[in-house]
Amino acid sequence: MGKALLIHKNQIIAYLFIVPSLVIFSLFLIWPGIYTIYLSFLNWNLISPDKEFVGFGNYVALFQDPNTYKILINTFAYIVILLMLNCFLPYVLSFILEYVITKGKNFYKKVIFLPSIISLVVGSMLYVWILNPVSGPVAVLFKMLGISLPFWSNTNGLVIVVLSLITSWKVFGYNFIVLLAGVSNVPRGVIEAARLDNIPLHKIFFQIVLPMSSATGIYVFIMTIVQGLQYVFTPVSVITQGGPNYASSNLIYHSYQDAFVLYKTGQSAALSTMTLLLFVLLLFLEFKFVEKRVYYASK
Amino acid sequence: MPVNKFINGRLFWHILLLLFSIMMLFPLLFAISNSFKSLSESYNNMLSLIPGNPTFSNYVTIFTTLPLFQIILNTFITATIVTLFKLATSYFAAYAFTFFKFRGEKLLYFLFVATIFVPFTVMMIPNYLIISKIGLLNNIYGVILPQLCDATGIFIITQTMKTIPKSLIEVSKLDNVGTLGILRDIVFPLTKPAIVSSGIMFFINSWNEYVWPTLILKDRINFTLPLVLQMFISSEGGTSFPLAMAISMVTMIIPLILYLFFQKYILNTFSQSGIK
Repeated sequence: MGKALLIHKNQIIAYLFIVPSLVIFSLFLIWPGIYTIYLSFLNWNLISPDKEFVGFGNYVALFQDPNTYKILINTFAYIVILLMLNCFLPYVLSFILEYVITKGKNFYKKVIFLPSIISLVVGSMLYVWILNPVSGPVAVLFKMLGISLPFWSNTNGLVIVVLSLITSWKVFGYNFIVLLAGVSNVPRGVIEAARLDNIPLHKIFFQIVLPMSSATGIYVFIMTIVQGLQYVFTPVSVITQGGPNYASSNLIYHSYQDAFVLYKTGQSAALSTMTLLLFVLLLFLEFKFVEKRVYYASK
Repeated sequence: MPVNKFINGRLFWHILLLLFSIMMLFPLLFAISNSFKSLSESYNNMLSLIPGNPTFSNYVTIFTTLPLFQIILNTFITATIVTLFKLATSYFAAYAFTFFKFRGEKLLYFLFVATIFVPFTVMMIPNYLIISKIGLLNNIYGVILPQLCDATGIFIITQTMKTIPKSLIEVSKLDNVGTLGILRDIVFPLTKPAIVSSGIMFFINSWNEYVWPTLILKDRINFTLPLVLQMFISSEGGTSFPLAMAISMVTMIIPLILYLFFQKYILNTFSQSGIK
């Protein structure tokens, strides 16, 4: 009996330690999440006292709006570019840093990580000037070569590339450090043996390093999508406000714009709910399929 | 093949890595040098990294025309409160997850960590409504309130606590050390590195926070640094270029100093956060 009482008492103490986090999570994360899903079935403008139930009306309206497709395509473009810049490239560089070069490892690590601690608003502002197509330093350099820079912030397609580059300035170093930790867990002897056998670097990377560090690789892959799309919000908001004509908007920014600029609360909530579903799908894929394959590959 | 040999050699990669490092550092050097140039020099000679006639006038201008001391104080208070609360809530939750068995333990832990995958747009409208309902719009406490807890912090501190042998806790309990004593004298010293580095990470992230404060703060006097910076980005550009660089410097300086002093800590935590 005494033991049962002790277990009971321990349970209460444990819950007491969890309660502060649980209360804040419930109030500002879980409840808002549920409320947003509820709002997605209403027609509302954030201010009016009247909310009208419209069923799937907001979702139907979204799918009938040609801009939604534009934004979905943009979101996909951001994902592809961010994966190249912030997942594949730092992956390769972390391999080089760990196994190919011998000197300066710490120096490169510190310098490449440095921008990760700086505000992305600062980064956006600096790049607006650095990449200014008329008077910025990059334009001046290109002028010497006889090339004039396009007005990237007004050019379809190019604007997504440049905004992704600006985002990468901040995110690259963080992913790089995480991948470096994963890559350094690959047994050194395997790589050194392969190097001695003169196996080309790209083969070592794709056939040894990639499969043997895939747990970290997949984590960064998914985080690049989930956090990358949210990080892009800052340069979009600061530099283009989604323009020209929605050419640089993505799911996250458009949802913000619907809610706080256009006051289409229901549509914004519907778009957020769709984004949530996309991210949950990614989480599900990681747990269901990818984790299994990782296990298989590392055996 | 000579090309292959070159790519497999070290020199090629050093050149590439150095180019990379320069690309990472250039924006900083660009901001520092131009913030000390006069308006005309900054326009005529934007590229030179050493100002011809260094001047403090840009800094004087921004500090006299904007309530910058108040804005720095707002940023500092916000980041400090957010950091202390996130550390406390993460530390307590991690303690429960590591040293106690209770119903729903696994589910709760999964739920907490899964929140990392929730996009902020899902919370923004309801949280905005809550903050406006309790009258904290245009107030830094409205910015602070939803951020008092952090899933990444719980995750990192739990991972560290798991390395503490359970027997150590059992022995202390037998010696009649109370729960508070265990938390303060036994667990805390052993998790200190993780706590310090999570704390620095929270502080820097909160210092740089942009999205949520833009929704909540309306008047200049209540702004945090990233918001005031945004006023200097206009499509016209205009005469504000060296001033914008000075504001950037003011915004960056605290995270930069923290990074210089705590690099090792910071690099360690960030690399841990990706390992399961």
